[in-house]
Amino acid sequence: MFYKVLDGVKIVEYGNLISAPFCAKILADLGAEVIKIEVPGLGDESRRREPFFKDIPGLERSGLFLYLNMNKLGITLNPAMPTGKKILCDLLAQADIFIENNPPKKMRKLGLSYNYVKLINPRLIMTSITPFGQTGPYKDFEGGELIATQMGGVGNISMREGDASKEPIKLPAHLFTFQAGLSASAATLGALFHQSLTGEGTQLDISEQESVIQNLNSATARFSYANQIMARTDAAGHAPFHILPCKDGYICAAFVEEAEWRRFVEVMGHPEWADNELFVNFSTRAKYWDALKPLIVEWTMQYTMEEIYRRSQEKAVPLGAVRSADQVLLDKQMAARDFFVEVNHPEIGNLTYQSIPYRFSGLQREAPAAAPLLGQDNEQIYCRRLGYTKNDLVKFKEAGVI
Amino acid sequence: MGISYLKGVRVIAFTWVWAGPWAGAVLADLGAEVIKIETKQRLDSQRVVRITRDAEQDLNHGQFNVTNRGVKSLTLNMKQPEGLEMIKKLIKMSDAVITNFAPRALPGWGLGYDVLKEIKPDTILVTMPAFGSTGPDKDYLSYGSTIEAVGGLSASFGYPGEGPVISGPYPSDPIGSMYGVVSLLAALNYRNKTGQGQHVDIAQSEGVTTLIPEVIMEYVMNGRIRPRMGNGDEIMAPHACYPCKGEDKWVAIAVGSDEKWKALCKVMGNPVWTEDEKFSDQYNRWQNQDELNKLIGTWTKDFTNYEVMQNLQKAGVAAGPSFNIKELINDPHVKKRGVFIEQNHPAAGKTIVYRSPWTTALTSDSRPAPLLGQDNEYVCKQLLGMDDAKIAELIEKKVIY
Repeated sequence: MFYKVLDGVKIVEYGNLISAPFCAKILADLGAEVIKIEVPGLGDESRRREPFFKDIPGLERSGLFLYLNMNKLGITLNPAMPTGKKILCDLLAQADIFIENNPPKKMRKLGLSYNYVKLINPRLIMTSITPFGQTGPYKDFEGGELIATQMGGVGNISMREGDASKEPIKLPAHLFTFQAGLSASAATLGALFHQSLTGEGTQLDISEQESVIQNLNSATARFSYANQIMARTDAAGHAPFHILPCKDGYICAAFVEEAEWRRFVEVMGHPEWADNELFVNFSTRAKYWDALKPLIVEWTMQYTMEEIYRRSQEKAVPLGAVRSADQVLLDKQMAARDFFVEVNHPEIGNLTYQSIPYRFSGLQREAPAAAPLLGQDNEQIYCRRLGYTKNDLVKFKEAGVI
Repeated sequence: MGISYLKGVRVIAFTWVWAGPWAGAVLADLGAEVIKIETKQRLDSQRVVRITRDAEQDLNHGQFNVTNRGVKSLTLNMKQPEGLEMIKKLIKMSDAVITNFAPRALPGWGLGYDVLKEIKPDTILVTMPAFGSTGPDKDYLSYGSTIEAVGGLSASFGYPGEGPVISGPYPSDPIGSMYGVVSLLAALNYRNKTGQGQHVDIAQSEGVTTLIPEVIMEYVMNGRIRPRMGNGDEIMAPHACYPCKGEDKWVAIAVGSDEKWKALCKVMGNPVWTEDEKFSDQYNRWQNQDELNKLIGTWTKDFTNYEVMQNLQKAGVAAGPSFNIKELINDPHVKKRGVFIEQNHPAAGKTIVYRSPWTTALTSDSRPAPLLGQDNEYVCKQLLGMDDAKIAELIEKKVIY
C-alpha cells in the first residue's frame, strides 16, 4: 500500500484487464486488502500485454499488469466450477466490497449477479463495471477503449481544427478505461461510507460509456444553450492555442487571456508583435496564424522545451512542456513529491513505476508491494484463511479449480 | 438507485472552472451538501466565459450550469475580516473543505490547514491544484491543455506520423475531480474509524500520468517512447474508425481475435479479399492494418454507422458509432439509462446536464446549478443563526459579496 487509510477493508476482485483492476488498485493503494482472482494457468489477460520487460514476453513481465496489480494478493480460481463457486462465495461472505468487470450475461450464467450475491452477504458492496452498464439495449454489447471513446462522444471532439476527411481518433493508450475504474472507486468509497453507518450493501452499476460522457461539459453546454454541435473540425478562431515544435520536441502554447499572450511575446523578446495590428487579439491572431506561426516557431526552435517552459512560467505564462515519458520521469516537480517509486519484483527485480497523485499529511507513506505472481497467495488464502489443506490444493489444481 | 450515500456530509467548496466544481457535483450526486464559496470580486470563469463567440452571456448561463448542478452558492468576501470569521464558523460545522484554487489561495486568506485544524481538529482538507501544493513548480500556471502536456499525455496523442495535438475535452480536469472525490471519501472513511482528519494534496498532472502507465512503462522497461498511434492498438486489428453513409459519419470497429475476425467477415458477406494471406491471422492483420482498414472502409461506406453497429454487435463484434453530442443525447441506450437530464434552471431555462457515471438520484427535479449567492439566506439564517438585520448589514459592508 501507499497509505494505511482503508486498513481493515476487505475487497474481492474478479475481473480482467483494466477497469476493475484499476478500481481495486486505487483502494489497495489506500490500504484495503484486495484478493485478486485470476484464471488458473493463464491469469489476467493484461499479463499477456506489452510492454514486456526487456521485450521478453512472460506472465510475470508485463508492465501493464505489474502496475495495475501492485499491493494485491493474488489467487487462481475457476468460479465456473461448483467447487470454485463455493470458494468464491465463502470469500464474498467475508468481504466488504466485490469489484468485477464481467459481462452481465456471464455473471448471470455463473449465478453471481447481485440478486444472488446479496443473499450471501447483504452488506456487500458490489461494484460492477461494464462497457454500457447492467441495463439498457446495449447492455450485452462488446466494448473496449476505442468503442467507449467513440460511443461516449469524445472521439468526435477529440481535437480541434481537425480534417473531416480523416477519421476521429481516440486518446492515447487506455486513458478512458482507466478513468472508468477511477470513477468506480469514487462511487465505491461513497457506498463504503454508507455501509459503515448503516450496514447496507448495494450494487454500483458503472458504465464505461457514461464515464467517457463526464468529459463532455463543453459539448453539452454548447448544445444545450446554443444548439451547437461541437466537432473536432471546428475552427478554433483563437490563437495561439497550439502545440508548436521546439529544439528538442514540442511546447503547448494555449492561452486564454490577452495578458498571457503579451507576457509571452516579452519572453520571446518581440514586444513589437503585441502592437502589430494583425496580432492584436485572439481572433486576428487566428486569422493571420499562417503569418504568425512561423515567427513564433523561428523563436521556439532555438530553445529546448525545458528552457521555454521555465522562462515562460517564470513570467506567469501558462505554457507547458509536451513531455514524453523520459522527460516525465526526470520531472523535478514530480520527484519532489516522490511521485515515482521503485518496487522490487521477484522475477524482474527493481523497476520504477508511477505511484499515486495524492499525499496524506497525517499518514506515513508506505512502501508498495509488487504485483502478485500467478497464484502467489493460494496457500495463504485457501489454507490459512479458508481452512483447506495443502492436499486439497493439490486436488483443486489437478481438477482445474485453482 | 436513489440511495443518498453521503447524507449528512457537508463540504465547503472553494472551486472554479472544472476540476474542483465537477468534484463538487459528484459529491452532490452521492448525497453530500456542497456549499460553493463565490465572490463578485472574482467570479468563476465558467459563469462568464462565452459558450460560443457570438453567444450572449450573463451570470447564469454557460458551462457553469452543466458542471455545478446540485451545488449551493454562498457569496463571501474572504478579504473582509467578518467574511473570514463567517467561513471559519462554517468550516466548524462542516466535514470537509475542497479546493482547486492555486496553492497560495487559502493560506493567503489565513485558511491554511494548520488554521483549519485549530477550528476543527478532525477536518478534512482536499487541495487539488495543477501540479501539487509542494515542490519547485507548485505555483506554475496551467489550463487543462498545459496539464495534459506536462503529465505526458499530449506527446502520445495524434495521428501516426504527425505531431502531437491538444485534446478537445481536456480530460485532466475530470480525472483530477475523481481523485479529489476519492481522497475526500477515503479520508472520511478513515475519520469514521480513527476520529482523525487529513490534508490530502493532489497534483492534477500526476493524476493524468497515473492513467497512462503504458506510456511510462514502455520507457522504463525498454527505453522507447510510445509513438502517436491514432486509433491503432498494440496488437488488435482491425482497430479503427471507418467511414459510413452520411457527412462525417464513422463507425469504430475493434477486433482482437481470429474468432471475432471470422464473425466480422461473415457479417461483411465473406468478400474474397478477406481470404488473403495478409489477413489470415491476428499478427498478419496487424502488420497489414493500413490496407485492411481501407478494404473494410469499402464495406462500411454503404451503411449507416448504426446499421454497422447493430449487425456486428449481434455477431459479438465490438463496434459502435462515433457519436456527436446530439446523437449521443438521443441514442436509445443513453436515453434509457437516463444519463442526460433536462433541468429547468431559474434564470437560464432549459439546461441539459449529465449525471455521474453510475445510476444516481439526479433527476429533472434535482437542484440545478445555483444562481450567484442563491443560498446566502439559507447559510446565514439556518446555519449561522443570523437575523435579517445582520444579513442586511453584511451585504451593505460587502462581506456577503
